[in-house]
Amino acid sequence: MRLLAVLLFGLLLTAPVAAQNAPEPDPFVASTYLNAINVRSGPGETFAAVTSLGKGIPVRIVERNRVGTWLHIQRDDGAGGLILDGWVVGGYLDLADNLRYSELPVNDSLPDADPSSQNSQSMKLLYAVPVMPFISPAMHDLFLKGLQMGNRSNAVTKVGDSLVANEYYLQLMNRPDNNLGHYDFLAETIAYFGASAAQPSAAARVGLSTAVIFDPMWADSTRCEAGETALDCEYRLKMPGVALVMFGPNDVLHISPKAYYDGMEKIVQRSLEKGVIPVLFTFSYNPDSELWQEALAFNLSLVEIANQYQVPLVNLWAAARIIPDYGLDTDLVHLKNSGFEYLNFANGNEAFYGVAMQNLLAVRVLDEIRRGIIMTSLAG
Amino acid sequence: MRKLFLVMIALLLTACGGGGSGNGDPAGAVQRYLQAKVSGDAEGVRSLLCAAMEADVEREAASFATVSGASIEGMTCARDGETDRVKCEGKIVATYGQEKTEFPLGTYSVVQEDGEWKWCGEAS
Repeated sequence: MRLLAVLLFGLLLTAPVAAQNAPEPDPFVASTYLNAINVRSGPGETFAAVTSLGKGIPVRIVERNRVGTWLHIQRDDGAGGLILDGWVVGGYLDLADNLRYSELPVNDSLPDADPSSQNSQSMKLLYAVPVMPFISPAMHDLFLKGLQMGNRSNAVTKVGDSLVANEYYLQLMNRPDNNLGHYDFLAETIAYFGASAAQPSAAARVGLSTAVIFDPMWADSTRCEAGETALDCEYRLKMPGVALVMFGPNDVLHISPKAYYDGMEKIVQRSLEKGVIPVLFTFSYNPDSELWQEALAFNLSLVEIANQYQVPLVNLWAAARIIPDYGLDTDLVHLKNSGFEYLNFANGNEAFYGVAMQNLLAVRVLDEIRRGIIMTSLAG
Repeated sequence: MRKLFLVMIALLLTACGGGGSGNGDPAGAVQRYLQAKVSGDAEGVRSLLCAAMEADVEREAASFATVSGASIEGMTCARDGETDRVKCEGKIVATYGQEKTEFPLGTYSVVQEDGEWKWCGEAS
């Protein structure tokens, strides 16, 4: 009995040490927690499904797409032969805690969609737009012009309607409890822009639209000067280097495609005059809505404007297509919050909640701008 | 006596004409303009908007098209002395979905065109 007690006591002492010495799980091995998921030939839901992956079956992660939302997985037969090779939504996998996306190779040669899979010409055109833009040299010049005008390189603002004014969009960047999950490479960008992003924007408001953003009556009279538009007011107050702009869900209900085009073009032109990089966002919309074709037309206006002025365009519309209800809340207009009051990219939230995806894409594009323009400009 | 009476009548008529030349009351014009804007009355907006802002007629008339139930609460307007400014108290209240949003009234510029007072934007 005494010997048994001594043995048990010894086991108790060695157990924590054994746990500490246990090998870390392979960060590049994962499985799905869902019953079955599609494995596709490319990093987007418009690519053909080549097979399915069942729950708990281990696979090896080979690389990720540019954004980080899709992962290339493989499984072999143990003798070097591949028995599974394709792409899955990263949020559908149970990923090792020690997986860092900064350590994953990035495949930026594959497009985010296969437009040829679509019957609709509008859908083909929209799917042809990458989710994450490549930043043009024109934006580099604009950034420098903005610095000379007094804009702050680490200041970002947001411009738009209630989907943008939402306090859970962008304003969470400065929180100390943000959980980036596997998106470790975004930490520096969040630290860089966080303080400015935390402040509510005078150019983001419930009910705002491209039709009224230049009406001074819609500007916040407590912060803005008499006769000043909401856009000019926010640019004056924050002196941002970057503005994240999204209009559409409100506009499509009330104004014509031409008026929307004119309004968005005017926002872009005014931003360029002020030395602010205007990052446009396409918007998610309910395909069962009677205004679905109008929404597609509005989004295609953004593609045209972005191409003409060489400004970045984030294709939130395409990214949201994988999310339940296209990322929309029960009203099928606003994006759905995940319920977290901090940025939470762990547990694949961006694959299930529209606002999580909106935040992820916002931080990703800021990361592209910071690495591609700001760091090189300030170093030069 | 008769001459004095005629002079007094003339003075009385001049006093009733309001400050300066032209017809209308600038504060009343501003109030009518704001009512037209809030109700989306394009013709009302057009008739009360100054020529310098003619290009903004559509925007002004559609300003509250994206919200519902827009109305003006507690509006009182008065001309600032003999200036071309009219100061208003009160607010516009509108609803977007479940959310109420407010637009405090402020001080506005007015101009006379063809003898009529017209609203001409926010005054600094």
